[in-house]
Parts: sequence; structure tokens; C-alpha cells
Amino acid sequence: MKKRNSVLLAATLTAGLLSACSTGQGTATNNNSNSNSSNNGASAGGVTTIEFWAAPNPTQQAYWQEMAKAYEGVNNKVKINVSAIKESPTSEASIQAAIAAKSAPTISENINRGFAAQLSDSQALVPLDTIPGFTDVISGRDMTKTIEPWKFADGHQYVLPIYSNPMLFGWRLDTLKELGYDAPPKTYSEILDLTKKLKAKYGDKKYLWAKADLADPTAWKRWFDFYMLYDAASGGNKFIEGSKFTGDQKAGEQVLTFVDNLRKEKGILARQVTDPFETGTGIFTDIGPWTFSTWAEKYPNLKFNDTYTLTMPPVPDGVDPAQSKTFADTKGLVIYASASKEQQQAAVDFIKWVYSDAANDAKWFKQTNLPPARDDLSTNDAFKPILEENPQLKPYAENVPNAVPPMDNAKYNDLQTIIGVEAFNKVVKGQIAPADGWAAMKTALENALK
Amino acid sequence: MDQRNNKLGWLFTSPYLIYSIIFFFIPLIWTLFLSATDWNMIKPTFNFEGISNFADALKSPSVHAAFWNTYRFMLIFVPIVTVLAIGVAVLVHGLSRFKGLFLIGFFLPYLSSGVVSALIVKGLLSYNSPINEFFRSMGFDIDWLGTPFTALFIVGLILAWKFTGYYALIITSGLESIDKEVYEAAAIDGVKDSQRFWRITLPLLYPSMYTTLILAFGVTFGIFTEVYQLTGGGPGNATNTWQMEIFKQAFTNLQSGYASAVALLASIATFISIFIIRKLLEVWGKRNGWV
Repeated sequence: MKKRNSVLLAATLTAGLLSACSTGQGTATNNNSNSNSSNNGASAGGVTTIEFWAAPNPTQQAYWQEMAKAYEGVNNKVKINVSAIKESPTSEASIQAAIAAKSAPTISENINRGFAAQLSDSQALVPLDTIPGFTDVISGRDMTKTIEPWKFADGHQYVLPIYSNPMLFGWRLDTLKELGYDAPPKTYSEILDLTKKLKAKYGDKKYLWAKADLADPTAWKRWFDFYMLYDAASGGNKFIEGSKFTGDQKAGEQVLTFVDNLRKEKGILARQVTDPFETGTGIFTDIGPWTFSTWAEKYPNLKFNDTYTLTMPPVPDGVDPAQSKTFADTKGLVIYASASKEQQQAAVDFIKWVYSDAANDAKWFKQTNLPPARDDLSTNDAFKPILEENPQLKPYAENVPNAVPPMDNAKYNDLQTIIGVEAFNKVVKGQIAPADGWAAMKTALENALK
Repeated sequence: MDQRNNKLGWLFTSPYLIYSIIFFFIPLIWTLFLSATDWNMIKPTFNFEGISNFADALKSPSVHAAFWNTYRFMLIFVPIVTVLAIGVAVLVHGLSRFKGLFLIGFFLPYLSSGVVSALIVKGLLSYNSPINEFFRSMGFDIDWLGTPFTALFIVGLILAWKFTGYYALIITSGLESIDKEVYEAAAIDGVKDSQRFWRITLPLLYPSMYTTLILAFGVTFGIFTEVYQLTGGGPGNATNTWQMEIFKQAFTNLQSGYASAVALLASIATFISIFIIRKLLEVWGKRNGWV
């Protein structure tokens, strides 16, 4: 009896411990799995189940849930489970972990080109152009031009861009007016003149660009300072193409010299500042359209074309400001190689259905403020009411064709860290001359690309 | 021990054994294997790299920074937290009422989220915070999180604030265990009130202080949340820690093989350091006749 009790206790403890180790993710999967599927969901009873991972933000998740429900209403052979990508520690790491654990979804959004390059290098993605019906998505959505720069070095498309957001610079119009300006300056020397006037009037109360990230080497932060300026100065040069450094030396040195000159004029505050633009400590900063909903609640005093305005990045003297380019904060959808053929096809059919109607993109734009990656964003009637109601979104819509997407190199994190560590951060801190910074960065990048 | 008792022993240790196998031995072997590969969590292949990940890590400036920063944090955190914990414990121990209430108050920071406290400190130290406005009006313009020493100091201070109550709790139990008769005997022997703390209390607190010191030294090898939130390891690598480095390599640069090598180096550095610190504390205790 005692022996039996001991065995029972040991079994209970073991079962309890092992169940505590379970993530609970397997249950639903197993119910739907069949021999054709290597991941969550599959064909069962003639219904193909696909797992859709949405960006970890409630608005985007709600949008995709709405789309999935509507599609299930017109196609009862497909079931779409929409859930948010876990962000612990990062959404990229969650996707990696899911692939490693053989529990990757069928399809996910929120993928930038750099991460897509890492995934495709590891054979984790399906080249979308090899799935029947994908070309119909491109033509149906009117995005032939927008998707062109997304083509990878091997000639395939691995990502379908959902939104393409040309990052713009915001200016505190109220402060500019106080300094005698009706509109923001557009060239480097005009900005330096403005900085001198700003410092003369406000001293250490106001700076041109107040942002701690300028001195931080974290890779993605370069998208919102160096790349924005560099894209404008170089006319949209790709900087790194495939595994080749193709940086424009003249443009790069001009950007670094501009930043160095701003530092010399005490126009940069690379310190931890709470809401510097919103509180007026800084009068110039990069702004994405996701900011406006926060401002509406937290800073209702900020009104477009009254307190602030938006422009494309400034350009070096002698360059036409009208030709300015900028960084495209853009993310898209990918389909995972671990999904079965049926699931991959069902995923493409779902995307095709969503993007066959511009009203769905309009709904996206309205709910998220993120400009859909379409060629006709500023001309299609479906978007006109949104742009009229939200004039601050107009410059974003108009500049979609002027935005350059991130590099498609799998080492993008290392490479972009080098830009900060060797050049940009050092110039911001006054630790290196612009030309020396560019040379050191170029050498380090070329070594890293070997 | 008869066979029946032996079986019962296995039975009661089985949860821990199973736990250790699943969460310690298997991950350890897996980490050892990964550290010799270039795996990135998603590649279908594991390319054998030999010891190159270790060689790269040993040459890496950010790994060097993580190694030395651990000891820098020790120099800041351990003395501050020890003095504060003893101070709090002695003060609370001397109270006639509400001892428990005060201890709970001091213990609360230990329960608070590192993310939240770091974000609050970040707000307090921002350029346009009232504190900095005040300092600037006095002629002090300090970049708290952008200067290597102050950034290290701030992180050390947050940790000290967090752990003071916890260690004070341990030291309070040490104080409670000191027999009052010892003090009475000392008074009879002519020990003055001003000498009581140094001659009686502190030596008799050695066992609980030994515990808190070992715990405090251990904390410095696992610093992550505060650094991640406040400085990201910067400025430069001034506040980079072992955990921060492992996180960056594994989850930002997606180099699981290399991160595994760094994790193993961190483990070796931790085990050796804690072993030496333990020995030094034991020698210190024996030399003073406290053990």
C-alpha cells in the first residue's frame, strides 16, 4: 500500500512539474494537424486553417481579425486564427523561437526587409512570387512601383509591404514664427542660420534637435536620423546593396559635417529628455504618423500647420529640396516555409481578397494612420476623405514614392550598429571629424560584409 | 539508512532532480553544443565553428566591458546596499512599535518592477526634469545617463534602493538572534554604548552579513533590467553587463551560437568570482574571530 502511494505521489509530482513546463500552445495545434502540415493549423474536414500573426499592437490586430472574419464569411473552406506576435523580448526573437520550436505561423506581418533577409537566408520563408496568385495581389492593389525596391538580390519577393511610411521631419512652427520664419528652412546652411538665431534667443532652453537616440548605437535608431538625412543627401542611394557597400561618400560626409556643425553651434542635445519636441525643448525631430493619435490625447495643443508642420529631410546646399528622399519605415507580410502548400495557397488567396478592394486599405489607413504601400495613395478616391480629414497625413501619402526601404542584408543589425559606433554617434559627441568618421565606418562596414 | 528510507529520499528529491535535468543540465549541454556552432535559431543547419565564438568573445570590447563593469557595479552597489541595509535593520530593530510595518515599507521596492522603477528614474533624470532644471540653476549641468561614471552610479543606486529592504530583513533576523545577555555582560565588562555596535553587534551579525554580502555580490553578475531600460549598456559600453551582452547578441544580433559562448564565459567568470569572494569573506571572518 505504502509503495503504491509512493509511486502515485511520484507520478503526480512528475505530471505536475511537466504540465507546468507546458506553454499550452500545443493543444489547439494537435486538434487540427494532419500529415501534410508541419505547423499550427492544417486541412481538416476540407477546411484549411491558417495562423496569422499580427503586429503586437491592438489596432493592427483588430484590423486583421476583422478581415479574417469577413473572409471566412465568403470562404467557408478557410479558417484564419489571428493573434498578436509576442513581444518578449522582441517580436523578431519570438518569431525566431517559434521557427526553432517548429511552431511558426503560416503568415505574419510586421516584418522589415532586414529581418526578412535573415529569415530568407535561413530558408524560413517562401518566395512569394512562386505561389500562384501572388502577381494578382500586386496588380489588384496597384503597388507595382512600391514593391519594386523590395525585390531581393536573388530576384525573388519575400515580403509583401503592407504600409510604406516615408519618415518626415517635424518643425515647431510656433518657435519658428517667433524667430521670424513663416516656413521651415530646407537646406543645411539655412538650418545652421536658424540654429544661431535660436541659441541667441533661448540659450540652453531650446535646441534644434533634442534626442538621446542620436548618441545611442542601437542599430534601428539610425533609420530615424542618419538614413533620413543620408537618403535626402544622396538622392536615395541604397548604401548597402546585397553584400556590397555602395555608400555615396560625398553625401555621407555632407550629412556628418552638417551634424558636426549643428553640434558646434550647440544645436544638438543628445541627452535623455522627456518629450523634447512636444515640450518645445527641441524644435526639429523625426515624426511618424503613429505619433498623432498620442498627441491628440496627450498634447492637444499641437495642431498641424499651427504649432507644428512636416517636411521632407533637409538637403545639402546646392541640392534641390524638391528632390529630397527619405527613409521608408515600412513593414510587410511574409509566408513561412514550414506551412503546408495548402496553407501557403490559402494565405495568398486571403491576402489577394483583402487587397482586391481599396476600401480595405482605406480602413487600414483610417485605423492605424500608416500609409498603405500603394502607388495610388494620393490619387485614389478611397483615401481622399481620410486625407482631407487628417491633413497631417497628406505629406506622408504624397511622399510614398520618395521613400527608400531598409537594406535587405541579413547582418543589418551589425551593419547599422557600425554606422553609429564608428561615425554618427562619435560625430554627435564631437569625438571624430566627419571625414574620418566616414572612412572608419566604410572600412568597418566593408570588413563586416566580407 | 535502510532501503525504504533511501527510496523515500529519492521520491522527495525527485521534483528537484527532474527540475534540474530539464532546466539546468539539458540547457547546459545544449549551450555547450551551440557555443561551437553558428546557429541563429532559425537555420536548419548547425555549422561547426570550433572555439571561434569563444575567441571572438574574448577579443570583443563589449565583452571586456561586461567583465569589468561587473566589478565596477560591485564597488558601487555592495558598500551602499550593505551600509543602508545595516542602518535600516538597526533603526527598525530599535523601534518599540510598528517594526513589521517599517520593514514591509523598506521591503516594497524589492517587489517593485525593475522596468517601472527604471522608467521613473529616467523621467526624473531627463534634461528637462525639475531636478535637472534646479541643478542647472545652481550651475551644475549633469548628463546623468550619458556620462560613464554617473550612469554606472545611477544603476548601482537603483539596485541598492531595491535590495536594501530585502537585506535589512535578513540582518534584522540576525539582530533578533543576538542574546540580550551578551549586551548586559558587555556593559558589566565596561563596554561603552558607543562601542556596542562595533564590538558586539557587528561581529555577531557576521553570519547574516555573510549571507547578504554573497547575495549582493551575486546580484552584480545578473544586472539586466535597469541597464536595459536606462542606458542600453551605454554610453559606449560603460554600463554593459554580461546579461545585457548575452541579450544583445542572442535577440538583437540573432547570433545564438556566439551568445551561448558569451553565456558560458559569464558563468565561468561568475563561479570563479563568487568562489574567491566566499573564501575572502571566510578568511576575514576567521581572522577577526567571528566564526
